[in-house]
Amino acid sequence: MFSSISLEKIFSLLKYDPNDPLIFSTSLFLILFLGFLIFYNLLGKNKAARIFLLIFFSLYFYYKAAGLYFLILVVSAVANFYAGKLIATTENFTKKRIFLIVALIVNIGLLGYFKYTNFILQIIADISKHNIDPLSIFLPIGISFYTFKSLTYVFDIYYDTLKPTNSLRDFSLYIFFFPNILLGPIDRAADFLPQIDHEPFISREDIGRALFLIMLGLIKKVVIADYISLNFVDRIFDFPLRFTGVENLLAIYAYVLQIYCDFSGYSDMAIGIALLLGFKLMDNFNYPFKATSIADFWRRWHISLSNWLKDYLFKPIQISSRRLKIFGNVIALIVTFFVCGLWHGAGWNFILWGVFHGVLMSISLFFKKPKEKLYKFLRINNTRFLRFFQIVITFHFIAFSFLLFRFSDLQIAKDMLSQIFDFFHAEVFLQFAEKLPLILGLIVIGYLFHFLPSRLGIWLQKIITAMPLPVKILIFVIAIWIVAQFKTADIQPFIYFQF
Amino acid sequence: MISQELKKVILTELNLDDFDLQDETMAPEVPGWDSLNHINIILAVEKSFNVKFKSYEVLRLKNVGDLQKLVDLKTGK
Repeated sequence: MFSSISLEKIFSLLKYDPNDPLIFSTSLFLILFLGFLIFYNLLGKNKAARIFLLIFFSLYFYYKAAGLYFLILVVSAVANFYAGKLIATTENFTKKRIFLIVALIVNIGLLGYFKYTNFILQIIADISKHNIDPLSIFLPIGISFYTFKSLTYVFDIYYDTLKPTNSLRDFSLYIFFFPNILLGPIDRAADFLPQIDHEPFISREDIGRALFLIMLGLIKKVVIADYISLNFVDRIFDFPLRFTGVENLLAIYAYVLQIYCDFSGYSDMAIGIALLLGFKLMDNFNYPFKATSIADFWRRWHISLSNWLKDYLFKPIQISSRRLKIFGNVIALIVTFFVCGLWHGAGWNFILWGVFHGVLMSISLFFKKPKEKLYKFLRINNTRFLRFFQIVITFHFIAFSFLLFRFSDLQIAKDMLSQIFDFFHAEVFLQFAEKLPLILGLIVIGYLFHFLPSRLGIWLQKIITAMPLPVKILIFVIAIWIVAQFKTADIQPFIYFQF
Repeated sequence: MISQELKKVILTELNLDDFDLQDETMAPEVPGWDSLNHINIILAVEKSFNVKFKSYEVLRLKNVGDLQKLVDLKTGK
């Protein structure tokens, strides 16, 4: 009786559950991954078996998140593999271009159907003033990421900068690869495919870096992002008018940190997990809040997406409209950031957020030369003072843009700003610090770690790499224990909110 | 090998006194040659050598050496 119940429980735990994908920060993932990793390493020398195991585990990982829709991955792999072959072997340029367009229609068509059908129906309903019921369409998690990932392969073959692979198995591994399937980084086929043949597949440095990234990612995601969102940000954002300006401002700063820690933490874990399997994925974040301009921000934030958009969308538009000079850049920027916003979600808030970035960058294009002249006149160019000033201004533009990102109802953002400008009450900060020291501490530590020199991260990685294996394991277990404490902690009572 | 002529066009457009441009030099390695400025450099090269590139030809360039080859091809060198 007992064993049949446990078996049933285990079975239901392992089955597809739309509300319970195998997120890296869950204990189920940790257990399954450890088991998988042992077999993966036991197969060390047998490359073919190792790759098949990885393909199988990756498909299971996606099945756990999307059920039978894991078949989309299979369709995507087969379709793009043959599209690549066709584009490469076709001499005629017009035909080459037609094959590229067909590949784009298939990929973007799938993405569009699953992600944007209801959004488009809603727009049609709003314009025609007729009620249209939304269709019941399942959104396969990660589809925006792996669609863009597959497209790097066909684009690069079209531009003749990548030779197609002859192995459907290798290409499938690239598409299915579980560490980056749900949330990126959107790795390039050109970087990933050659790594499949690398031997030995993992070094001592890789293990040190991987453990560092997994621990860092877990702490960023669970200890900072999840904790401050649940215990602070959400509560203020739900009723901004109940709080003073200083609390609203702190909530915005905390939210910016939350998004960064949530997303970059997940990327860190993805890169770390991939490293343990012998694959180096591209970096996705590079201290984004140290950016001195919006353009600089996009060189540091979600780098795999911004590089993708730059190479496959911005540049083609920019180059084909180059006769318009600076306006060619403006058109390319606005279109690219419109798509960037839409890529993040089917909602006007995302589009507004994207276009806001595009407009800011376009404006700065026109001010570039006068700005340089002014800095020279004031003798502040290349000074720390200017850099500091630029970082502060850029950060606040970004923070504001994330308000647009978060709220589909602009009134909430407006309320928050009116509280900040008309009802600031700086003295409430002391109450906040007294009643919620942990939240304040986490926000301070989060930003402090971000703004400290990047050498610190490299130094920590080296220390972990140099440790003997038992110490490495001990440190890792301690990190997991800390993370577990935060995960199971009760929601903090907000006594402070009674005022 | 990057010709003096091409080097001069690029450096003038970027306001640089000197920079060691090699075949394998990539745009981000050169100060000021970012994705926004790229358009100006391509236009300057087209104007100076009196050539017209196709978008596809520009998009597949990986480094300065590729740009040199494209210029040579268009000018019949």
